[in-house]
Amino acid sequence: MRTIIFSLEYPPRVVGQLSGYVSALSSQLASSKVDVNVVTYDDSSTGQTQEPSGVKTFRVANPVRTHIGVLNWVLTLNQEVERAAANIYYESNKQVDLIDVYEWHFIPAAVILKNGLGIPFVYSVESLEDHRSPNNANASYNLAIKSIEWLGFYEAARISVKSEWMKDELVRIYKIPKEKITVISTDPGIWIKEVLKLYHSVAEAKKNER
Amino acid sequence: MRDKLSVMMLSWEFPPRVIGGISPHIYFLSKYLAKQDVKVYVVTCDFPGAPAHEVIDGVEVYRVDSYKNPSPDFATWVYLMNMNMQRETAALTRKIADKIDVFHAHDWLVANAGIGLKHVFRKPLLVTMHSTEMGRRDGLHNTTEKMIHETEAWLTYEAWKVICCSDYMISHVKYAFGLPSDKLVMVPNGVNTHCYDGDDDLKDFRSKFALPEEKIVLFVGRLVYEKGIHVLINAVPKILQKANAKFIIVGSGYMKEQLLNIVRSMGLEHKVLFEGFLDEQTLLKLQKCADVSVVPSLFEPFGIVTLEAMAAKSPVVASDTGGLSEIIEHDVTGVKVYPNNPDSLAWGITKVLLDENYAKRIKDNAYKRVQEKYDWEKIAQQTKRIYEGVLGEYSKSFWA
Repeated sequence: MRTIIFSLEYPPRVVGQLSGYVSALSSQLASSKVDVNVVTYDDSSTGQTQEPSGVKTFRVANPVRTHIGVLNWVLTLNQEVERAAANIYYESNKQVDLIDVYEWHFIPAAVILKNGLGIPFVYSVESLEDHRSPNNANASYNLAIKSIEWLGFYEAARISVKSEWMKDELVRIYKIPKEKITVISTDPGIWIKEVLKLYHSVAEAKKNER
Repeated sequence: MRDKLSVMMLSWEFPPRVIGGISPHIYFLSKYLAKQDVKVYVVTCDFPGAPAHEVIDGVEVYRVDSYKNPSPDFATWVYLMNMNMQRETAALTRKIADKIDVFHAHDWLVANAGIGLKHVFRKPLLVTMHSTEMGRRDGLHNTTEKMIHETEAWLTYEAWKVICCSDYMISHVKYAFGLPSDKLVMVPNGVNTHCYDGDDDLKDFRSKFALPEEKIVLFVGRLVYEKGIHVLINAVPKILQKANAKFIIVGSGYMKEQLLNIVRSMGLEHKVLFEGFLDEQTLLKLQKCADVSVVPSLFEPFGIVTLEAMAAKSPVVASDTGGLSEIIEHDVTGVKVYPNNPDSLAWGITKVLLDENYAKRIKDNAYKRVQEKYDWEKIAQQTKRIYEGVLGEYSKSFWA
């Protein structure tokens, strides 16, 4: 199985908890014989590396240096994420089973790769714009981010969350069918097995489509 | 046998959505490329009442969701619209089994979509730069302008070839983005002379705008600083000292109120008419009636209204700047005046109004020039040759 993981954070760039989580996830997946390719952002150390765990990382920087806000910054960075992912796709003989997208930032890239190349994606949710900006949820800036979240939920093959509470929130806010959402356990013993099970179900569904 | 060459045009406007000059440009370029046996797909923003898919003159037009949720500002909307445009174009390209040879993007307004699609499908990207932020704003003064400028730079960087409509724009774009010369190609803009065909009696039509003894001086353009409309307004009293004329201003923009006030304070409301936007047929007739068409721009990458006036057989007075300098040959196909100089502009307009033989000579020459040089058929041929050249280079690359 070959997967690409999209995450805005990845060590050594640590902003919140996502960085450590994605790092642990990718090395565990690599030791479970998954070909893991992490596409992430870094302003200076761009390019490809391979970690001792076997995880391959692809760091891209924003081609547009000046921005008027985070949203614009994210939207121009997405094309570089697409470029990195397309390179992985073509260099692996077009064999990519799925993309696992952490948070909304690289949803546009995942949506375009799905529509253009037929690679399904999992949208892994850590938080929602409604929770991050509870007082500004109706400002146009936040609504635009919410529209990207919505697009991600609509286009994703599966959605993964880490708690029943988040699953309920997704159903409440975005009216997503419960069956589309998988709760991944935080128990270190079974965690990676659940992620693998989810990946396999997405890859299988894709194969059956053909 | 190889399938015919196919191109996916990306543009934020296509008729009936008309905001500026890109819309008619894409319309005619696509139509005449189709006549050259090129398969053309146009992906553009949706428009109320226009179908999501239609075939116009052999061109497949797809109108995509232009992102209608609230967005914080224009530039952010552009990036969000690009996300939607890219998503739908990606699905379309996949549906037609990747039978796209080149992506052709027009201006920064479709930069993200063009760049993303290039990499996802590994096909060459061509770009036409119709204008630049640096030129539109006469420099870069704030973060938004810098962001747009850098997006333009990124687009030209990713492009296989950059097409500009005048030698002036070639040198401007080369300087603005630091591009190598061999990446730039000049293909002029075109004009459709046929829409001015026919010898209808325009006497009644003319009488709606001017008295029989008044000459018509026509300005067509957005009422913004870069178009130099204020220079024309300042020249009005100088012209009226020597010739009896009616000044007709077509178009709208942020300077309208200010210009109206100047006209009022000069007591010349009966001589200067602000018509706002006009429908196409009225505008075509007005261009045919005009005794002189004025293009007083301060910045002009190309100046399509100049070609329109030349095609409508109306003598042109234009400022000697940008693309206008190349279109007009002074005393042969028009009159060139100093930019931003009301005295010079008044001199040029008065000369044309008072000397009928001179006016006739320059408009006849201008019409001939338009047919020789700015014919869409020739422009489409040139564009097709550029596509073929790029594909030749591409076929030797590891992407092919």
